[in-house]
Amino acid sequence: MQLNPTEISDLIKKQIEGFDTKAEARTEGTIVSVMDGIARIHGLSEVMSGEMIEFSNGAFGLAMNLERDSVGAVVLGDFKGIKEGDTAKCTGRILDVPIGPELLGRVVDALGAPIDGKGPINSTEMGPIERQAPGVIERKSVDEPMETGIKALDAMVPVGRGQRELIIGDRQTGKTAVAIDAIINQKGKDVKCIYVAIGQKASSVAGIVRKLEEFGAMDYTIVVAANASDPASMQYLSPYAGTAMGEYFRDRGENALIIYDDLTKQAWAYRQVSLLLRRPPGREAYPGDIFFLHSRLLERSSRVNAEFVEKMTNGKVKGKTGSLTAYPIIETQEGDVSAFVPTNVISITDGQIFLDTDLFNSGNRPAIDAGLSVSRVGGAAQTKIIKKLGGGVRLDLAQYRELAAFSQFASDLDEGTRKQLERGARVTALMTQAQYSPLKTGELAFTLFAANEGFLDDIDVDKVTDFESAMLSYIRTEKTDFLSDLNKSGDYSDDIAAEMKSALEDFKSKGTW
Amino acid sequence: MSELTTAARPYARAVFEMADKAGNLAEWSDSLSFMGAIASNDDVKKLLTTPQMAKHSGADAFIKLCDSKLDDNAKNLVNILAENDRLSLLPEIGALYESLKDEAEGSVEALVTTAKKLTKAEQDAIAKALKKRLGRDVKLKVSVDESLLGGAIIQAGDLVIDGTLKGRLSKMTSTMAR
Repeated sequence: MQLNPTEISDLIKKQIEGFDTKAEARTEGTIVSVMDGIARIHGLSEVMSGEMIEFSNGAFGLAMNLERDSVGAVVLGDFKGIKEGDTAKCTGRILDVPIGPELLGRVVDALGAPIDGKGPINSTEMGPIERQAPGVIERKSVDEPMETGIKALDAMVPVGRGQRELIIGDRQTGKTAVAIDAIINQKGKDVKCIYVAIGQKASSVAGIVRKLEEFGAMDYTIVVAANASDPASMQYLSPYAGTAMGEYFRDRGENALIIYDDLTKQAWAYRQVSLLLRRPPGREAYPGDIFFLHSRLLERSSRVNAEFVEKMTNGKVKGKTGSLTAYPIIETQEGDVSAFVPTNVISITDGQIFLDTDLFNSGNRPAIDAGLSVSRVGGAAQTKIIKKLGGGVRLDLAQYRELAAFSQFASDLDEGTRKQLERGARVTALMTQAQYSPLKTGELAFTLFAANEGFLDDIDVDKVTDFESAMLSYIRTEKTDFLSDLNKSGDYSDDIAAEMKSALEDFKSKGTW
Repeated sequence: MSELTTAARPYARAVFEMADKAGNLAEWSDSLSFMGAIASNDDVKKLLTTPQMAKHSGADAFIKLCDSKLDDNAKNLVNILAENDRLSLLPEIGALYESLKDEAEGSVEALVTTAKKLTKAEQDAIAKALKKRLGRDVKLKVSVDESLLGGAIIQAGDLVIDGTLKGRLSKMTSTMAR
């Protein structure tokens, strides 16, 4: 960029003119010790809990332990250059991050500073990272669907806007893939997405950002990244920062989706910080408030009513409800869901999507365990057509699973059992879905309809996916208007069923798969 | 440092309450600051931390060092401190005692550092302004530091009022770096 010298001096002049020359009154303390990212400070008698503290090297800290004679603070960022005897100043500010639409399309760290090299973020508003969740009066029940575009999820584990649905599974079971597909599927739906990466490899985060850009999803997405090499304090704070950014949209009557990938690592980071602050350890060496750590975070994801939105926007937005949907991710060890953090988060959330290693390895991807995955409130939010057609699929799969285990030792089976087994094998095959290929409501409805009405029963199991993709491309070209109506309304009636049936019969009679 | 304060607090409070009852706050203030000065002397520190220094001989040596300036109560304090291995806390005890005393007397000590020496009138003006702000009588302690370039910096407890040229310059540096 070419710089004009007068421009620079103008800029400096403005800065000097705007510079406040009044004497500065502040509360100061002295650093007693700095170790492992924790500073102990003597003095600071007026400090608030959660207040930002400024160190002499320009770094900030967060006051976490207020004791009788000292303050324990975590250093946010670089703690090189902070030494014993330095002064630490109170700033009078509770930790906050920039919020607003300016952040969309950007990659930021836990404090909202850009790390994507695209220049400064010109946001005008700041939001505190710790905020009270909306109260009982301010909420509205979940009744709009949050579609992920994944067949198995939308049909069997539906999620509504404002719900918290846990994605849980071992390493390498496709947890992140499910979350990324859900983001990609929000394209054109006016849902803002926030992806919080906690303790991940920087290369993984870069890969995800690249994928999101490739599918045009970065335009409506904020990525908050606290990588594995960032201080534990930043990893612990990043979900709260991401939530503050999501709440901005919720409070303005918009819809937002936030993904915490993953909260296990955040719990580890918080455990580290707590132990270094010498808070007493409890089960699995986690501190006593590990449940509250996650419950207060996830409670902020909610659906709020129009009055709340009106109050938050000072009457500018009227008659619109807002929502923040959360997909927290938890990684289990060897499928152990009864460990401390997984049980906590399972009990906080409104259901879970359980991803299974064996299913993943046998090629059923996404590897969703239909038996263990539940959604406690999503059913109320499903579109009419999916609700009607999805029930059959769930039943087919549940029966199949039971019979499949049982029939492995049986040589001859009666006709009914054999039919159920064959239907189940086809539905299982139908539920596999490639990554980055979300389906719209109408397309999903056709797929489910084909399974329910027995259109698949005479197709070979290994031809089911071919049949499905050929069918979808046929419907997309031949029934464009009907499909887009279906996508929009999600209604179901006998007329619609008849039209779907005739379309599928037409397609099948051509036999082009 | 903070741990030392925590350990010193009960001693300081005990001495203060005793002195307050007996009405000899000023005498104790003198003897505590005297003992504190001796305890923070490097040679004395070395002597007190020598392992061979048995508890009572440590106390005896310390009392001898103070050269009969201590009354009986003060000697007892030294003995108790030696018994608990806390003789090195004397400077902190002194400081805490002073702050307790200031609090009881409704006064506060303020440290004023200026670039140039203050005149008596200026000192009075600062003391008056501080009294208005803090709502207490102010005991000024004045010192001169030329590196401040101009203006003054006032420290009263944890409160710092920085009106120096140096402070403004460093603030300006950080504003412009943004």
